[in-house]
Formats: sequence, structure tokens, C-alpha cells
Amino acid sequence: MIKAIKPSKSEKILFFSLIIFGFITLGFFFSIKNKCSFVKKINLAEINFEKPENIVLMDVECGNVVIELYPDISPASVKRFKYFTKKGLYDGTAFYRVIENVLVQAGDLEFGNIDSIDYSKIGTGKSGIGKLKSELDNEFNFEKGVLAFARGDELNTEDSEFFIILKDIELYNGEYTPLGKVLFGLDVLKKIKSGNKSEYVLRPDYVYSLKMYKKIN
Amino acid sequence: MRYLFILLLSLNTLCVKADEIYNLLKIPNLKVFKIDNKLGIKYLNTKKDIVFGASKNIKCKKTKQKNLEKKFQIVSNNMSKYNSEFLKKNNIKFLILCENLFVSKINTGGIPNHIKRSLILDIDFNPYFFERMIHHEIFHMIQNSNKNLFNEDYWIKLNDKNFKYAECSTCSDRLGLEMYETTYGFLTEYSQSIPSEDMAEIFSFLMTKNNEVENKILKDPILRSKVQYLKNNLKKIDNNFSF
Repeated sequence: MIKAIKPSKSEKILFFSLIIFGFITLGFFFSIKNKCSFVKKINLAEINFEKPENIVLMDVECGNVVIELYPDISPASVKRFKYFTKKGLYDGTAFYRVIENVLVQAGDLEFGNIDSIDYSKIGTGKSGIGKLKSELDNEFNFEKGVLAFARGDELNTEDSEFFIILKDIELYNGEYTPLGKVLFGLDVLKKIKSGNKSEYVLRPDYVYSLKMYKKIN
Repeated sequence: MRYLFILLLSLNTLCVKADEIYNLLKIPNLKVFKIDNKLGIKYLNTKKDIVFGASKNIKCKKTKQKNLEKKFQIVSNNMSKYNSEFLKKNNIKFLILCENLFVSKINTGGIPNHIKRSLILDIDFNPYFFERMIHHEIFHMIQNSNKNLFNEDYWIKLNDKNFKYAECSTCSDRLGLEMYETTYGFLTEYSQSIPSEDMAEIFSFLMTKNNEVENKILKDPILRSKVQYLKNNLKKIDNNFSF
């Protein structure tokens, strides 16, 4: 006959500790798996913008990004960026080119939209309204958060694609047309899916929406 | 499924460790060495061996710090012979320094790319010709940026009517870089390869050994007309330009 052995007090403590440890581990696993954890939320109602007409809001997977545009620095380019934004043409465009902790790029209106994405042509699409002349300013500093128009190898080939830098890049001063700068939400952009070692991203994240700011009273 | 596999495979083989410099110049493994704000030039160097180009035909090695420091002084001293406006007009912005530069297995001093405004320079190039090589490559940037000013058909007609250039610079055995004692329209053997190399050779000697060239053209009318042609057209780019 087998005798039932009652667990000692210390064995009971060990057993319950293991269960609690298991729950904590599972909790960590799910919170880390959710890449948007620990991203600060922005309360727009608390912010007063000096020039609200130059503020755009970008909605991406992990939250909102608030960007101030600089029409005084790049008038023609900002005018075009606002035009695409107001028309909602940037909504659904893929962040197809992401260099981790360096930059995120989106805005291919022809081949980069979620509804008609073409991986073989992405990055070569056209807006249909022609190329823009580069608006370069050697004095403008490409600091963390700067939004700029992307271009081809040559200058004066800007169209619709844009990028945002996630660190200071002095080398870009006088190289690209600056459009503005991120005021809030840079950590949101850092969560955008990158292509690991490749600069191109398969199954990329998207710009959910890009809108001009409107004050809610 | 098959297409997805091909796509994944092609993305994988196209992998380059991208960074902000690669994003700009499409050349891997570079880092910023010095930025010359006065001249508007950004000097970069190779932090690892590089292989790039459409068919991976361009190769260059990582720079050694001591060599880099030493050769940078020579490069920057020679670049200071130009003014910032002139460099800007000729699309000279990024100078990339590396060692043992090869294009399709042929050792070369430099690779100019006026579209990307970059010039790759081999700092391990023969030290005797190194300074002149810098100006030689600069001329290629100038010519490529101003195709209409340096007309090769016109240039060919400046030579003796019996002379013929080679089909291309790399398919000729005219490789000597030493200046001829007595000239007959050409300063070096390499000058006789193709018109653009002839122009670049004369330009580089004008930048480094101006007095010797001025003496030679006194007795060589062909060379004199070539020098005059270069000077006249460089003035069209920058009226203040002088050798």
C-alpha cells in the first residue's frame, strides 16, 4: 500500500513561487511581443501650436506623430507635401525603406499603397504631377526628427516620397530638401518595422493616415 | 509560393548593411572622416573592404589609419587649390578615400561620379603620381559636369591628322604617366589613349607643374592650342579660375 505524503510548508511555498514566476514570465512575453508597449501617448488637447496651419498628424501602428512643416525654408516642397496630405494620398503608403535607428521612408503613391503594393517596383512610383526642384539649405541642420523629401541619385528629382531621420545626420545638410520636423512621437517612428540588415522591408508597416491638424474645441 | 520564395531570396541576396551614408551614396562601409565646410567637401573613408557596382565590379580596401591621415593631408592641400563655387559647379562634394581601388580587375586611381557628386580616390596609388592623379580625376568630374564645354571631336582635330587615339583607355597599352622630355602634342604616353584622358593629363600637369607645361608649349603648337582650349573653357565655368 502506498502512503500519501503531504507536502511540507517549504515545498508549498516553492510550488506557489513557481506558479507566480510563470505568470510574470508570460506577462513579460506578451508585453514585449507587443512592440507598441511603453510608447508614450500624445494628448493633442494639451498642446498649443504656434502655427497650427503648419502642423500635420501622422497616425501609424504605435500611435500619433506630430510634425511641424517649414514653409519658410522649403516653400514649394512644403506646398506639395500639404497638397498630398490634404488629398489623403499618403494614407496607406508603406514604410518600405527603414534603416533601424537611422530613418524611415514612405510616400510612394503609385506602388507603395497598401491597396496596390508592388514589391518589385516600390520606390520608383510617381505622383503624376512631376518632379520638384531641390530646395537645399546648407545652414539647415539635419537633426533627429527632420522630415525631408527623398529623391533619386540626382538633385531636382523630388516627387512624393519622404523620410524622417531618427538620429542627427550632419552629412545630409544641404543634400535633401527639408520639409519639417517631428515635434512629438519620434519613439513611435522607432517602432516601425525595419528590414533587419536590408534597407527594404518585406510586409512593411504603413502610414494609417496623414492629416492636417485641426484644433478640437 | 514559388514567386514568394524567389522574392525572399532576391531580397536576401540584395542585403547590404544599410546606414545613412549608404542611403545617400549607395556605397557600403563608409564613414565620415572630415567635413570641410569652407570648401563644401565631405571626406569619407572605408571602414571595411567595399565591393559594389552593378555587377560588383568595383572593389576597394579598408583604409589604414596612418596612411589615411598622411594621404588626407596631401588630398586636402591639393583640394584647397580650388574654390568652393568651382567645386560646387562641377559637382565635387564627396571625396571617398580607400586603398587599392579596382574596377573590373583593373587598378585605377579614381572613380568620378558627377551624378552622385562623388569621387573615389585610391590613397595607395603610386606616391610619385598621387597628387597629379587627384587633379586628373577632378578633371573627369569637370568634364562630365560640362560635356558641352569639352568637345572631344574638336579636341581630336587639334592633333596631327595622322594621329589616332585608342578605342578606349583600358584597351590601350599607352599607360606611361611620366612627362615626356620633348613633346609632340602630348605630355605623357597615357595622354594618347583617348581624348578625355589627354585633357585630364594636361589639366593635372597644369595644376601641379604649371611652369613646366608653360615652357613646353612654347615649342609645341599642338600642345599650346590644347592648353588654350582648356583654359578658355575653364574660364566659362569660373571666370576667376587660374592655374
